[in-house]
Amino acid sequence: MVMQQIINAISLGGIYALLALGLAVVFSIVGLINFAHGELMTVSGYALLASLLFGLPFPAAVLVAIACGAFAALAMERVAFRPMRGASVTSLLLTSFAISSLLKVLFQNGVSARPQAVAMPDWMTGAFFIGDMTVGVGPVISITVSIVALIALQMFLRRTVTGTAMRAAAEDFNVVRLMGIPANRIIATAFVLSGLLAGLAAMLWIAQRASVDPLMGFTPVLKAFIAAVVGGLGSLPGAVAGGFLLGVIEVLLQATLPVGLAPYRDAMVLSGVIAVLLVRPEGLIPAVRSQHN
Amino acid sequence: MLSVEGLSIRYGEVEAVRRVDLTVGRGEIVALVGANGAGKSSTLGAIAGLVPAASGKVFFDSGEITGLAPETIARRGISLVPEGRRIFASLSVADNLRLGGAAHLSPAAAKTQEEEMLQLFPILRRYYRSKGGNLSGGEQQMLAIARALMAKPRMLLLDEPSLGLAPQMIDTVFDLIAELRENGLTILLVEQNVALALEIADRATALANGEVALAGTAKELAASDLVRQAYLGA
Repeated sequence: MVMQQIINAISLGGIYALLALGLAVVFSIVGLINFAHGELMTVSGYALLASLLFGLPFPAAVLVAIACGAFAALAMERVAFRPMRGASVTSLLLTSFAISSLLKVLFQNGVSARPQAVAMPDWMTGAFFIGDMTVGVGPVISITVSIVALIALQMFLRRTVTGTAMRAAAEDFNVVRLMGIPANRIIATAFVLSGLLAGLAAMLWIAQRASVDPLMGFTPVLKAFIAAVVGGLGSLPGAVAGGFLLGVIEVLLQATLPVGLAPYRDAMVLSGVIAVLLVRPEGLIPAVRSQHN
Repeated sequence: MLSVEGLSIRYGEVEAVRRVDLTVGRGEIVALVGANGAGKSSTLGAIAGLVPAASGKVFFDSGEITGLAPETIARRGISLVPEGRRIFASLSVADNLRLGGAAHLSPAAAKTQEEEMLQLFPILRRYYRSKGGNLSGGEQQMLAIARALMAKPRMLLLDEPSLGLAPQMIDTVFDLIAELRENGLTILLVEQNVALALEIADRATALANGEVALAGTAKELAASDLVRQAYLGA
């Protein structure tokens, strides 16, 4: 029982971590909290649905769906955020809200406001039995995918020139440009990464719910935003730490709260967030930033 | 090699730089001197593409570079070592150097250039794996110059390289600047320490309140009453 709860906590935390990382990657470079990040999840979800309806095999449909998330993020940057470059934080925030609303309405009117069932393969709903313990296949896949994605992202940021340039740009963007590295390439890469992470998170989210709906991205991304703030806004290790912490707290409260207190779960989680920020206003692992930004 | 014609820079209502003319010939060190707030750094910023020019033109190698993006100007062969060094504190010395050459050299050429830099700045070899933020001010200045040189620039813009450094370190940095010139690099040097700048420069331009107050050879400026009274304390 305890083991199952631990697995659930890590699984949920992993999804929050992927989403929080997506927000943090973009924020660290452009200084924008992209509230349309949830809609990247939604785009990926509907792309999965459509690919399966067109008869694509499940693994191919998943790849197409994740790619659609990345493409949607790239398109968002190109169409909406690039013309706003250099605008105030407020303008950027409003732009992201506008994109978010636009996409929600498009899905509500273009597809349906009701959830659509996604046929998940049978093996994903199975379970392992280790001794007298039951472990769901879904959460195990979720944990594995999250960890592999985190390692892959870390390798990209440490080993490649573009990744190193992104870490540098998070500190001092102008100096990166003085090295002859194009601003557009760095920003586009940040958005593609955030789209890939959102697409991946969408797949894991859907795997546990087997449906998509126009508002599916809202709650997880709100949680991811909280995770990113708790971790230290713009700090990538902070986003991961915040994501896992939030997942653990939610599952812990879910498992231990008496029925009468259950409705107050989110309120308690947010109180915890306030407590953390009172002690560490910069977050758990603050971002490094030069005084020139 | 570089020529600035009638450059003006505005920050809102404030005109920080007014109709500044400036030329730097191939292989020369030209010093841009003046008090704090005279418009020296703004002028460098405009040449490098970081600060928009309100009017005037900048030519490099007979091509106009006014208004180009900083990354484009860097690719044309101008490297700026910014004021306050601005090395990437969270990145290793190795990564700082790697980024300096990334947009300009093939990986093999970058490796050769890096080896040259490590010979020129042995201290950077010692701290190769350390984070840039752990270096002392002087070491960071070395790293900032080495990072700019990784691009194999044809022209180096140095913004206040002596600022905040211990006297001994200032000597080291200025010896190095002289050595770079010996190797044929063209340098535009912005410096508050006027005596030091005039010692090393071929020619100099003094700015006051955003305008050119005086221009000539470094010797002429060092001998002029204006410079002696205003900056050299004579």
